Amino acid sequence: MTIDAGDVVIRTEGLRKVYRTGFWMRRVVGLESLDLEVRRGEVFGIVGPNGAGKTTTIKILTGLQAATSGHAWILGQPYDVPATRQKLGFLPERPYFYEHLSARELLDFYGRLFGVERARRQRRIDELLERVDLTRFADVALRKYSKGMVQRVGLCQALLHDPELIILDEPMSGLDPLGRALVRDVILEERARGCSVCFSSHILSDVEALSDRVAIIVKGRLRGVGTVEELIGHRVRYVELRYQGAVDPGGTLLREDDRGRVVRLAPDEADRAVAAVVRAGGRVLELVPVRETLESVLLDEVDAAAPVDEKRMGVL
Amino acid sequence: MNRIWALAVNTSREAIRDRVLYSILFFAVGVLVLSLAVREITIGDQATVVRSVAQGSIDLFGSIIAMFLGVSLVYKEIDRKTVYTILSKPIPRWMFVLGKYLGLVLTLAIEVALLVALYTVLMLLQQSMPPGVVYLSMVTLMAELMLLTAWATLFSTFSTPTTAAAFTLAVFVIGHLADDIWLFGNQAQSEAMQTAARVLYWALPNFELFSLRVEAVHNRPVPWSRMWGALAYGAAYTTAVLSLAMAVFSRRDLK
Repeated sequence: MTIDAGDVVIRTEGLRKVYRTGFWMRRVVGLESLDLEVRRGEVFGIVGPNGAGKTTTIKILTGLQAATSGHAWILGQPYDVPATRQKLGFLPERPYFYEHLSARELLDFYGRLFGVERARRQRRIDELLERVDLTRFADVALRKYSKGMVQRVGLCQALLHDPELIILDEPMSGLDPLGRALVRDVILEERARGCSVCFSSHILSDVEALSDRVAIIVKGRLRGVGTVEELIGHRVRYVELRYQGAVDPGGTLLREDDRGRVVRLAPDEADRAVAAVVRAGGRVLELVPVRETLESVLLDEVDAAAPVDEKRMGVL
Repeated sequence: MNRIWALAVNTSREAIRDRVLYSILFFAVGVLVLSLAVREITIGDQATVVRSVAQGSIDLFGSIIAMFLGVSLVYKEIDRKTVYTILSKPIPRWMFVLGKYLGLVLTLAIEVALLVALYTVLMLLQQSMPPGVVYLSMVTLMAELMLLTAWATLFSTFSTPTTAAAFTLAVFVIGHLADDIWLFGNQAQSEAMQTAARVLYWALPNFELFSLRVEAVHNRPVPWSRMWGALAYGAAYTTAVLSLAMAVFSRRDLK
């Protein structure tokens, strides 16, 4: 069933994936009733711990796995129809390519799979290899490439046909700072071109910096979605008070040095602690609010999703 | 069609750059050349013996290459995850299997053509131009290899290369014993054995239908009806097995 995509490039409704594993074909839920929308022109980040369901979601969206139930649409078309992927660019996690081919041969092959006409294919290959600084190695077999170089070739194959939507699974994984910067630049350039980008990553600072909106998936369930600001909020997680004086204002002592003592306090304890230091003749040197981060929000969600017995046993 | 061709050419290019293929081909060429030496130790019709050994070596090494490349055809793509960047493009699963299969057939055709060319040169040097029936036998050999490759491809869609190799070898051996199985069924006392033999006979391919080795070695004419019959049988059976391979792979999750 085709839907009117409008401003939505990815839509999932009740997407569920159950795997059968082991000799007894035990059921393992990989994804549970996922409802998601990625809007046209936005950079959408998916975060979650290992095994949360990020890659499962991406594999379903790219046609590599079938959903057990639920529906998904890519650019308004059902996800499981191959023609849907004509305008989709995809970079899998830790991509592997035919090692006997050179980057130019590989990209030419992929261009032909997309049906890109020969002259345009050659022009686009040259442009992209130049963009990722691989022109010098264009005719070298991929088996001689470093991991970072393979990742750059992977980016090229995802962008080869000027897609409307790009899905990247852990694109910064294993890259050095230069490689990460390149991936970040490419993502932002593609957004500027009007392309929508959906990517998963463990590197939360990159997700915070790049994403217009972020989805948090934990244990196969969507635990939150919104802008980074919406997810983090303006909440202060705790405050750090640095003071001098022989007084205990409460809270947890973090460190003590010749510049005084630093204690961690709950936000609503700050006023009382400051008053206590002043009353005892001490000096308040610094009061720093520590705000929520995407990492702390994610950790809270992981903690909240953990079964009670796991928490009790201190697994989390 | 362009996309199937792209997949086929890439598969063939990958196989041709595989060093193991050259090792097998090297042995094939070696045996072919050594077949000339057989002449020196043969009493009687030396030319026939040389042709028989040479023809047999082309058949054998063609089958080895078909099995060797076929059993890992799809599995290797999944294991190395190269399939991810192909099936996430507008490529249906059936097209992927067909493209890979045709690439392998293309490789086999090149390999058989090379061996036949070498065989022709050797025969020209030692005897005379081989009779036309030799080339007809190579056409039916290709049909046999295409069917064998289809079976290997089918097994490759759901099992590891080792298991697929065992299955394919079993099909290959049973396929060459099909006539014996039929005879066994007719002579068996037990009705269950008779039924089992008949089921095996009809379910598994009869590779002997493709064999024109005796005619080629002894330069005997081959009726066109036999030739076309073998090719039609091969085409129908290959289509069926390949369709099954496509259906199996279409349902497979790529973890």
